[in-house]
Amino acid sequence: MEQTVKKFSIKEIKEFIASIPYNKITIKDILSFEKTKENKILAGVIALLLGLFIMGVLMYLLHGHHAYNVTREHPWGLLIAVYIFFVVSSTGLCIVGSLGDVFGFKDYMLISKRAIFGSIVTILSGFAVIAFEIGHPVTMLIYNIVSPGLRSAIWWMGTLYGLYLTFMIIEFMFLLKNDMKNARTFGLIGLLVGLAAHSNLGGVFGFLNARTISNGVFYPTYFILTAFITGIFIAFIMMGFRYKLNFTKEVQVMLSNLAKIQGLLISILIFFVTWKMLTDIYGGMENRSGVAIHILGSWTFWAEVILAMLIPIYIILKSKGDDTKKLFYASLGGMVGIFFMRYNLVHDTQLKPLQMMKTEQYQLAPQWVHYFPSAAEIMISLGGLGICLALYYVGTKLFNLDSDTHH
Amino acid sequence: MANYGMALDYKNCINCKACEVACKEENGVELGAEKHRIWVGGNEPDGIWPLLNIASAAFMPSQCQHCENAPCEEVCPTHATYYDDNGVVRVDADKCILCSYCMNACPYDARYVDSRTMTVDKCNFCSETRLARGETTTACQNTCPTKVRIFGDLDDPNSEISVLLRTREHFTLKTHLGTKPKLFYML
Amino acid sequence: MAIEISRRKFLQGSVALSVIGGTSVGVSPLFSEEKEEQGELSITTKTGTGKAKLVPTLCEMCVNKCAAIARVENGIVTKLDPNPMFPKSKNMLCPRGNAGIQALYDPDRLKYPMIRVGEKGEGKFKRVTWDEAYNAILNGTDKFPGMAKILDEEQDNRSSFLFCAGEGMAEHTFKTFYSAFGSSNWLNHASICLQTVSSAYNLTLGAYPGADLENATYVIMAGANRAEAIVTPDTMTLFKNTKGRGTKLVCIDPRFTNTAAKADKWLPINPGTDLAFVLALTYVVLKEELYNKEYVEANFNDFEIYKNHIISHGYTPEWASKITAIPAKEIYTIAREFMQHAPKAIYYPGRRSTFAANDFQLRRAMAIFQALGGGIDTKGGLVFGKKLELGTHEGLAPLYFQAASRAVQEVDRGEGKPRYDDCAIVTESGSWLAWRDRFLENRMPYKVRGMFVYKHNPMLNMPNTKKTAQMMKKMELTVVIDTMPSDTVMYADVVLPECTYLERTDPVNTFPGVEPSIAQRNKVIEPMYESKPLIEILRGLTQKISKPLFEITKKYDMDVQDMISKIANSAADTNTTEDANATIASAPKSEEDIFAEFDISLPFKESQEKINEHMVHELYGEEGVKALKEHGVFYPNMKQFFKQVSANEFQYYPESEKAYSVNNGAPKTESGKVECNLAFLAEKGIDPMPTWKNDFAFVVPKGKFRMLTGRHAQYTQSSTANNSMLHDLMPSNYVWINKRVADEMNIEFGDEVEVSSPTGKVTIKAYPTEQIAPNVVFFIHGFGSQSEELTWAYKNGGNDNAVITDKVEPIYGAAAMHETNVEIRKV
Ligand SMILES: Nc1nc2c(c(=O)[nH]1)N[C@H]1C(S)=C(S)[C@@H](COP(=O)(O)OP(=O)(O)OC[C@H]3O[C@@H](n4cnc5c(=O)[nH]c(N)nc54)[C@H](O)[C@@H]3O)O[C@H]1N2
Ligand SMILES: Nc1nc2c(c(=O)[nH]1)N[C@H]1C(S)=C(S)[C@@H](COP(=O)(O)OP(=O)(O)OC[C@H]3O[C@@H](n4cnc5c(=O)[nH]c(N)nc54)[C@H](O)[C@@H]3O)O[C@H]1N2
Ligand code: SF4
Ligand code: SF4
Ligand code: SF4
Ligand code: SF4
Ligand code: SF4
Ligand SMILES: [Mo]
Repeated sequence: MEQTVKKFSIKEIKEFIASIPYNKITIKDILSFEKTKENKILAGVIALLLGLFIMGVLMYLLHGHHAYNVTREHPWGLLIAVYIFFVVSSTGLCIVGSLGDVFGFKDYMLISKRAIFGSIVTILSGFAVIAFEIGHPVTMLIYNIVSPGLRSAIWWMGTLYGLYLTFMIIEFMFLLKNDMKNARTFGLIGLLVGLAAHSNLGGVFGFLNARTISNGVFYPTYFILTAFITGIFIAFIMMGFRYKLNFTKEVQVMLSNLAKIQGLLISILIFFVTWKMLTDIYGGMENRSGVAIHILGSWTFWAEVILAMLIPIYIILKSKGDDTKKLFYASLGGMVGIFFMRYNLVHDTQLKPLQMMKTEQYQLAPQWVHYFPSAAEIMISLGGLGICLALYYVGTKLFNLDSDTHH
Repeated sequence: MANYGMALDYKNCINCKACEVACKEENGVELGAEKHRIWVGGNEPDGIWPLLNIASAAFMPSQCQHCENAPCEEVCPTHATYYDDNGVVRVDADKCILCSYCMNACPYDARYVDSRTMTVDKCNFCSETRLARGETTTACQNTCPTKVRIFGDLDDPNSEISVLLRTREHFTLKTHLGTKPKLFYML
Repeated sequence: MAIEISRRKFLQGSVALSVIGGTSVGVSPLFSEEKEEQGELSITTKTGTGKAKLVPTLCEMCVNKCAAIARVENGIVTKLDPNPMFPKSKNMLCPRGNAGIQALYDPDRLKYPMIRVGEKGEGKFKRVTWDEAYNAILNGTDKFPGMAKILDEEQDNRSSFLFCAGEGMAEHTFKTFYSAFGSSNWLNHASICLQTVSSAYNLTLGAYPGADLENATYVIMAGANRAEAIVTPDTMTLFKNTKGRGTKLVCIDPRFTNTAAKADKWLPINPGTDLAFVLALTYVVLKEELYNKEYVEANFNDFEIYKNHIISHGYTPEWASKITAIPAKEIYTIAREFMQHAPKAIYYPGRRSTFAANDFQLRRAMAIFQALGGGIDTKGGLVFGKKLELGTHEGLAPLYFQAASRAVQEVDRGEGKPRYDDCAIVTESGSWLAWRDRFLENRMPYKVRGMFVYKHNPMLNMPNTKKTAQMMKKMELTVVIDTMPSDTVMYADVVLPECTYLERTDPVNTFPGVEPSIAQRNKVIEPMYESKPLIEILRGLTQKISKPLFEITKKYDMDVQDMISKIANSAADTNTTEDANATIASAPKSEEDIFAEFDISLPFKESQEKINEHMVHELYGEEGVKALKEHGVFYPNMKQFFKQVSANEFQYYPESEKAYSVNNGAPKTESGKVECNLAFLAEKGIDPMPTWKNDFAFVVPKGKFRMLTGRHAQYTQSSTANNSMLHDLMPSNYVWINKRVADEMNIEFGDEVEVSSPTGKVTIKAYPTEQIAPNVVFFIHGFGSQSEELTWAYKNGGNDNAVITDKVEPIYGAAAMHETNVEIRKV
């Protein structure tokens, strides 16, 4: 037994970390980029977003939850949606990254490292945002362990995502060291934990039997599907920037293969959503059908459908997945669509008031719960995007995210 | 050790909201319309003046149902929401991380955020105040002009509430969700 | 114990203030130095589990005086609980009673005596000491004349001061001051509240009775809203039995109220036409001979005349249905059902009766209709109940030679009392509206120049606010005793802060009924700031003014001059006979003796606690005194009778001891009969029997609306509008308007609309609802305050009285508040 269980000493861990290849850079290096107009704009935008984050956080620190527009009837707001947006992106990137290094599809090897790094960056951004939504993050760290709520989907989701992040980092380190065997092991564990975490996130909603629109098995599976779709969108975006849309042949092949998968996934998604709507509306549950019809009337739902589904599928079908440039732009739009998808999920769950009577003399009986994010919520959310982009940029400087030449 | 529940003679209710004020003053509930542990729902009566449907204008007093199978307790990641020895569903403010999951999970809209502690709060059958002092009524029951509420131990077959539940027809809210509420509405 | 943070801050603030306060004499912001940031006010108490003092007291958030137990922890009132021992309030406190803590700790409270430094009505005051305030009342300032100057100029006509008071446990104390002062101008809430109903029942049945709703099986509630206008014990009793559970409740109201929601039948009626409804009920009962013949035979005066009157006028249900909009079929049914249930059937008398010009006759018709079923002084009917007597406390009523009577025209009805006759035909207690008109139009036979106001807010509670403002402006010296910076306070020259009811012991009182008792308000905590209970305010004031006023009396009062000259004579005449000796013994020996009769501070010399003790001890001994201190409530055999029946129910008297019948079922009139036909009214040109007049008809020109006003369960008239807890429950009042009409006018929920009449206009938010008729609108009364010192109430909602025309009911001079047609315009 002694031999099989290998104990790591601190020293060994230190050595392991020290052996990870990275570029020695200074702040100056980070600030030095090719001063094209586009880059300057991009840099400005990221700085602005980070600034917003700081402002939003300050507002939160000054006013607590009063800085948010969440209410008794709508306790989950934009920050939850943005958190979901990031963690789904992370899971998606993890899936895309795993295609090469876990499942061994050679074509996809060249995005693995970048995707895995992306998954780390996105989940960190997600955590950065949720830290300001959870009222007491420190208490959470303590009592998640001291008195774990094992029947709580949110506990599993949070805990598993924590583990997932750890595995992703380890996998990434092995990838950097080109230790493909260990990378595969940790990649596989990470992927499985990630999928478990992710379906638990769906479960967070699926378990809500008070909320008929979300209740059931739909969200846990739907989440995995949409994660994969998100991963591919982001893959296009990352590669598009990396190659400034001048894809090498290898990349072109990989991307158009990814596009074909994307076509299939989006078709399934459309099929899913159509059937969800049909069963919601004609399923004979009065409450649920009302909500579904209400959703059909909201522009955010159509933003999701058009941007994340219809436009990308149209382009993919039209060019058989070969028009990667257009698909790069469609993916940018797709991510906006995916944002609305997350926002809608959170908002729609809470659309129907649980208490439908008037509790004040002068009041209209509650019909639908209204919510629009506050300035602080919007700033922190945009800030999350800023953090994500900044970390990714620093990563590109710090690490070699391109595939290594050995294969 | 008891198993507390409450029966409501809800037809008595005149929607005066004395219960809400008594609850706030007894338990230090914040002011602010959405910060209430207890509420009374009313409707605009159906119909067109002068032919209004009286039956449609009933008042429904309500509060946390102290579900025996409480979704709020199930979803709480830190066990901040728990059943105490008396079968009362309570929130331990020290453990609550304000993830708000319970607020979404409670089918009865019984929970709100206390903005002083930034934790979730709700009716606790006056456990920290009246019950802690050994009193046997809740603030909302005690003050009610038309005596809508009867609070007591469901496990004691001789308690007033047990007798009532054996002898009078009653219903619970959203029974189909399987939450097993312990607020009983008397017909 | 846990006190909420902001509360603690607030209390610390107030303590700090009383230390440094002396130096901070400013002009305007005297009211609320530690007022919390608007919108952030969140004071609630949380009770603790440690040591607490429990004090039995009585609520004064409204007229009912429910018994409460105050919980005091570390000197702070943390909770008001119902006191189960009081039969009148039966273990309950309503929302307002529970929110009494917020009245006590309202940061806007009046804290110090103040005198006016700005213009009248401007609300600019200067903080002064009590002594300075009394001085200002006596001697005036450069802004207003003092009492001494006014009385001197008016040659000691004490009636040059008006005294007015709202209802309250210490109203009696204030009235004692009024009597001692010697004015004849007294006005209170009666003529804007219950004057006509109480007078009509008094004249017809000999008393304004209670209703035994516990045992009645059929109740008609018309023009009363017990689910929202809380009256104890009626509110608590009635609604446990309605909805097919023993008492059939028929609600007649132009609005669908909470009472309607709790009723078994609701019928909307055209406002002001209830008289036609009752006459038609009477018609059915007489025509079909459904009345209790035995009872009528034994207890009615002029029954045949009345019967003939009703039948010959043809007051049929068909006739009434055109006037009232209540279907004839329903009138037949109700009349028959009522008599089937009689005598356990009640036509509920109601309380506020300032609705229409025909109020008095309506209430007479109701009383007679009730009596036709025999439901008088009997279980399940209207009941007179028993009253536990109290001992006496000496008042003082000096006779001032110069004091003018209030009347323009004196009508002597044998008792030598002057009558107030020119505006209202019957009343002697006074019509506020008519008085105000007379004062404004200089129709008083002498000048009224000063005014004392106690616990009353005429600025908001009298129809036609503009006129009240004119009256307040014209008054040269106005002293207001209040707890809050009310709209009336804004017009004061001297403001005297009374402490709230939780900070004082008030006169012990007796509460008659089927289950009579005596109850006492005990002081819960010491008065905050520099506020004082009324009795102490008056003690200080009268000690200050008694002597100087006597000097004026000496100057003008011939009787007093006479007496003084007698002293002089007797002093000169030292050599006297026995006979003369006797005369001198009863004659004053010195001026001090004469002054003793005019020392108006005498009634306020003792503490309220002492006075109460004396009044109770005289009849009920130590037991009564002790019970009132310990329990706040007393009645003979209480120890033996009072029992807890269940968690919610208590027994006060065993069934056999309840005073359902105290007069063998007969009315309490002088004749011992139900008075159908009052000849003395005819002498004054008033219908001796209830009669419908065509000009009572409900007429609303197209495009206009009839305006109604009334209560809400969470507010008391104008006095709770600044209560942060209640404000939280219902932030404002809205105007009720029919939904379909609102749709046509493009008015949506919450839209601002302007409601106007020839009297004035207000803007208010709209509440479109099917719960009101298409040509009627409704305001909850008590909102729209204009006092900037009220954080929550200032300009919150609409003041109904700015729009309601000051129409006067002709017989008692009561206000007729529901006779104004208004226009509505979206703004
Ligand atoms: N339009 C319209 N007008 C109405 C009515 C209506 O329904 N509609 N209702 C009418 C009726 S029924 C009535 S009874 C009258 C009531 O009219 P008011 O007798 O004027 O009664 P409130 O509005 O309660 O005002 C009482 C005043 O007393 C003060 N106060 C409260 N507690 C204390 C205390 O302990 N001590 C002192 N010194 N002051 C205190 C309050 O701050 C307030 O200024 O209004 C009448 N006016
Ligand atoms: N919560 C609360 N309770 C109170 C008070 C308070 O301020 N708040 N005030 C106390 C005082 S001082 C009083 S006087 C009483 C008043 O008690 P009530 O007299 O019962 O109350 P109001 O609301 O003045 O009027 C009663 C009802 O008459 C209706 N009405 C108006 N016009 C007509 C009509 O022509 N015919 C008929 N049939 N109905 C009509 C109104 O819509 C209203 O619902 O309440 C007492 N109790
Ligand atoms: S106190 Fe009683 S009557 Fe009033 S609203 Fe509450 S439950 Fe209803
Ligand atoms: S009513 Fe809601 S808060 Fe109360 S126990 Fe049930 S689920 Fe929990
Ligand atoms: S908000 Fe608090 S009580 Fe509710 S689920 Fe989260 S930790 Fe538990
Ligand atoms: S039982 Fe106590 S805590 Fe619960 S609603 Fe009633 S008063 Fe409030
Ligand atoms: S009815 Fe309410 S406000 Fe009036 S005395 Fe009773 S508890 Fe106080
Ligand atoms: Mo009144």
